[in-house]
Amino acid sequence: MARLSEGLAAAPFTDLHRVRELRGVEWRADGSARIGSTTTVAEIAADARLRSAYPALTATAGALATPQIRAVATLGGNLLQRNRCPYYRSAAFDCLQKGGDSCPARAGDHLHGTAVDQGADCVAPHPSSLAVALLAYGADVEVEGAGPRPVGDLYDGSDSTRDHVLEAGALVTGVALPVPAAGESAAYRRATSRSRAEWPLVEAVVRVVRTGGAVTEAAVAAGAVARTPLRLPEVERALVGASGPDAAAAAVAPVPALCSPLPQTGYKAVLLRDTVRDALERALEPQGGA
Amino acid sequence: MGTTVNGTPTQIGADPATTAAEFVRDGLGLTGTKTACNAGVCGSCTLLLDGTPAASCLLPVTALEGRAVTTVEGVGDGAEHPVQRAFAAHDAMQCGYCTPGFVVEAAAFVDRHRAEHGDTAPTRDEIADALAGHLCRCGAYPGIYAAVAAACAGEHDDDAAASAPPRAEAAEKVSGRARYTTDVRPEGCWEAVIVRSTRAHAQVQSVDAGGAPQVDLLGADRTVRYVGQPLLAVAAPTAAKARAAAEQVRVDYRDLPAAVDPATTHRPEAPVVYPTRAERGAALTHAEGGVPPARWRGNVRGPFSLGWRGATAVKRIGDAARRGDPRLVTGAFQTPAQVHTPLEPHACVARWDDSGGLHLHASTQSVMALAEAAAKHWDLPRERVHVTAEHVGGGFGAKAGLRVENIAAAELARATGAPVRLVFHRAAELTDAGHRPGARIEVNLLAGPGGDLAALTMDAYSDGGASIGGTVAVMGRLVYGHAPRRLRDFDVVTHRPPGAPFRGPNGAQLLWALEQSVDDAAHRLGEDPIALRRRWDGNRKRHALYDWAAALPVWRERSKGAASGRFRRGVGMAAANWLYLLDRSTAVDLVVEDGTVVAETGVQDIGTGARSVVADVVRGELGLPAERVAVRTGSSDLAYAPASTGSRTTASLGPAARDAAAKLREEASRRAEGAPGGSGGLDAAALAALEGVRVRGGRRRDRRGYVTPFSLSDGGTVGRGFTGAVHVMEVEVDTLLGTVRPTRCWAGISAGRMYAERPARNQCEGGVVQGIGYALYEQRRDDPLTGAVLTANLEDYRIPGIGDTPEITVHFHEKGWEHVTGGGVGIGEVSTIGVAAAVGNAVFDATGWRPHDLPIRPDRLLEGIGAK
Repeated sequence: MARLSEGLAAAPFTDLHRVRELRGVEWRADGSARIGSTTTVAEIAADARLRSAYPALTATAGALATPQIRAVATLGGNLLQRNRCPYYRSAAFDCLQKGGDSCPARAGDHLHGTAVDQGADCVAPHPSSLAVALLAYGADVEVEGAGPRPVGDLYDGSDSTRDHVLEAGALVTGVALPVPAAGESAAYRRATSRSRAEWPLVEAVVRVVRTGGAVTEAAVAAGAVARTPLRLPEVERALVGASGPDAAAAAVAPVPALCSPLPQTGYKAVLLRDTVRDALERALEPQGGA
Repeated sequence: MGTTVNGTPTQIGADPATTAAEFVRDGLGLTGTKTACNAGVCGSCTLLLDGTPAASCLLPVTALEGRAVTTVEGVGDGAEHPVQRAFAAHDAMQCGYCTPGFVVEAAAFVDRHRAEHGDTAPTRDEIADALAGHLCRCGAYPGIYAAVAAACAGEHDDDAAASAPPRAEAAEKVSGRARYTTDVRPEGCWEAVIVRSTRAHAQVQSVDAGGAPQVDLLGADRTVRYVGQPLLAVAAPTAAKARAAAEQVRVDYRDLPAAVDPATTHRPEAPVVYPTRAERGAALTHAEGGVPPARWRGNVRGPFSLGWRGATAVKRIGDAARRGDPRLVTGAFQTPAQVHTPLEPHACVARWDDSGGLHLHASTQSVMALAEAAAKHWDLPRERVHVTAEHVGGGFGAKAGLRVENIAAAELARATGAPVRLVFHRAAELTDAGHRPGARIEVNLLAGPGGDLAALTMDAYSDGGASIGGTVAVMGRLVYGHAPRRLRDFDVVTHRPPGAPFRGPNGAQLLWALEQSVDDAAHRLGEDPIALRRRWDGNRKRHALYDWAAALPVWRERSKGAASGRFRRGVGMAAANWLYLLDRSTAVDLVVEDGTVVAETGVQDIGTGARSVVADVVRGELGLPAERVAVRTGSSDLAYAPASTGSRTTASLGPAARDAAAKLREEASRRAEGAPGGSGGLDAAALAALEGVRVRGGRRRDRRGYVTPFSLSDGGTVGRGFTGAVHVMEVEVDTLLGTVRPTRCWAGISAGRMYAERPARNQCEGGVVQGIGYALYEQRRDDPLTGAVLTANLEDYRIPGIGDTPEITVHFHEKGWEHVTGGGVGIGEVSTIGVAAAVGNAVFDATGWRPHDLPIRPDRLLEGIGAK
């Protein structure tokens, strides 16, 4: 609505709230969940069964935006939302996402830009926190008239012209999650300057499964650093088999080297490492995070 | 399609491009719901949908179908909700513009909390989580915490037990009844939109607005000097049509080279913002009064110098630098543009009556000055101009005098023959409604062998975009005794939006640099920072504050030496000094109507509690219960009152109200011949005898007179004595993620007697909150190539939320103002200007790293402490 009033989005658009089939959580025989695309973020955050099956997802849902936004924002809307770059949002600038031929943030202010180069000239990080969590779960996105696709395939980090790959008129109907992992502990962490209600400088979702103190399974995903949400397999590999109080610090050591920051986003390389570390330390607490 | 609003079935339109907020405000006239940010950030538009709070400014109206909608008008089912009583009782508001949104969210939270946990107070963190989606620019968060906790604990269930709230207009503000200019929409009202420059520097060749009614807002030189500068305004019968008309406007620019980078604008090759003498003479200013004279060199103006034995200061500092004197403190400090962004945007509704009189409903902090300026501008007799400002949703300096929205609305009202309404969009509010100019301040401060202040030099380069008027360094003449000093101010102009006075203009910039430098000196001398200031600072009233601060357990028991570990606690302090201003022409009328004493004065209340000051004085002086005193304000047809600028309102208004009350009491004695005059309250018989009587009180002269024998151009007078503040701040620094969390703050204020204690405390608490915003979050960011403002919404321009608010203790030292009529002066500015430096000193205490650049962002902190 904000972009509509700024003339950045074109009416007409359709209000889907009456399509009841798109809303709610459905549990399948194998114990996995499918979440309809107009389910609100608040509903996801508050769902007790989701919380025990997919704690990283509900923790992320409960931490993004503000209560009265979570009450109206939907899963589908969160996945397909447009980026937060001020140049994109301002009518005063042309940019690659608006048919322009260059990225004004590159030569201008990109303090909140990407720190991992995926080949795009656009430097706006992807804003969806839920996509980071769903990536950590390896969830599939269902698009009407097409087969399910991994959530990561909704996005193309080398494409500077758009924030997701769906064509206009495409409809995300829901997200299918895999069978929950038993004994998972998880955490979501975002780095911000204020205590609440702020878009993250970087964000991290971690999931770990431990057997007898040692990590047997790990998924680590990061947001606000690249044109798409990112898995960090280097960290995941370092975690498997690890135990003890220094496991997190050791596992995140390779993170800065994975980054390729812009002139103003050098801080994100260190901040990403330490945000992942903070999330991991929470998840690896004896009681296990979120 | 149907919905239910506050229990009443209602039809809704089918156009999803209309927002739910527009529907309830414009369609149903339920204006308690506000729209301030239009981006789902500030929470002022919050509604309950089936009992759950939701942001309505981003919600298509069609989403209301089949839902039960509750607005602030319907909270509590027609009665008052306990949380509304709690907000009133705890003074959980200032300007009140955000209050309905907070009330709606808090009502849902309180009901839910009590259902789940019984009548128990939640933790601060739980309250902060629940109210995270609301912003209060005045910073009334401490009262909000207290109100929500008390309502949860069941302390406000009993209607009858409530005593009069500390703020006179609290009931209107918590119910959504308080009417602001943005809520005014007369029958047949047209809407106006300002069309703004998209170029930083250009000659405007022509403007084509089609057939829309329009008013030119560009100067005679047809030159634009910043992106966002008003070119013209157009009007249409609806807001959508006005926006469409604005989009149709075609502007033919002849582009000129622009200087948009303050770091390079001084270079000889930089395009000059004001190349001719005539242009320099008409340069925009951000100064409150006049601008002191100074020379121009290209885009640099200055120095304007003040000092005392300046050559001695320079020599001592030069010698100390050459010999490497460890007692020489040298630093370069930087502050950003800080935007006022009151939650009620700039707004005006203008109408011409049949006899040629002009009626302005305006969001202004200077009702009288606006009326006078409008009379002059349109060449009208003063009594034919009528300015109204019932409630004003914040100002902080940005809403003084005759402004572009007043001119545009009035001209378009004349052109259309209809009332015309003009409300700034938040992007305009964050671009071209003024800002506290940035500054670069170079300090050299030398302590002598005996630990005294031996010399001080400061050069300040103010960056107010295209505006001039920086007096940052020269304010340093007024503090720390009479040691030799050279103080020089420069303006560095660029093709960027102009500044405006902002709560303690120049003072906040000065203190960020000076109070950290003094702290640095104390560390070098191995002396307690409070003890050092007590020696250097001759102000006796501040001595009392130093004694109070030094005795605080948080100060006495602070650990010295560098902390270790991820989370590090630090304690810092800073002192502040400010002028005492008043307006000698202030008057308050009292008239007895239906057994009630009605106080009438033109004053606007921008959230500072002007109504409460008048009400409390009249009640107190006449011994009347709250329900026997009413206050009528916010109209230029009433008695003369000062602008709400320069901390002058209370010092002017309080004594005038008291004088009026004394006159009414005299009249009561006359009428009750034979009955004892005494000091008891006026009883019903006395009031009946006074029915219809009208008296006027004035502002009696201070003992020993004033510093300025005549009034300044804005009606102000500089009185004798300086106000003072000492802030002690405790922070917790997260050295892993780079954040600074203020945990507790003590604010000592020396401004004499407080007329209305709770609103005064509230304002001081808000001063701490705004100072924390300045210290940690707030920074207008501009595109370095075009000068366009990038932080044009309240997500990217970050003001503090409730969770960023420390526990605040306010201490008033009330002595030392006995020479002032009424015994008390203003606190608005002195209560905020030193806060950022206290945060900076606390960060130094916690980490051993001294921040020089504001705000102390996570990336800067991580770099500063050497995170690798």
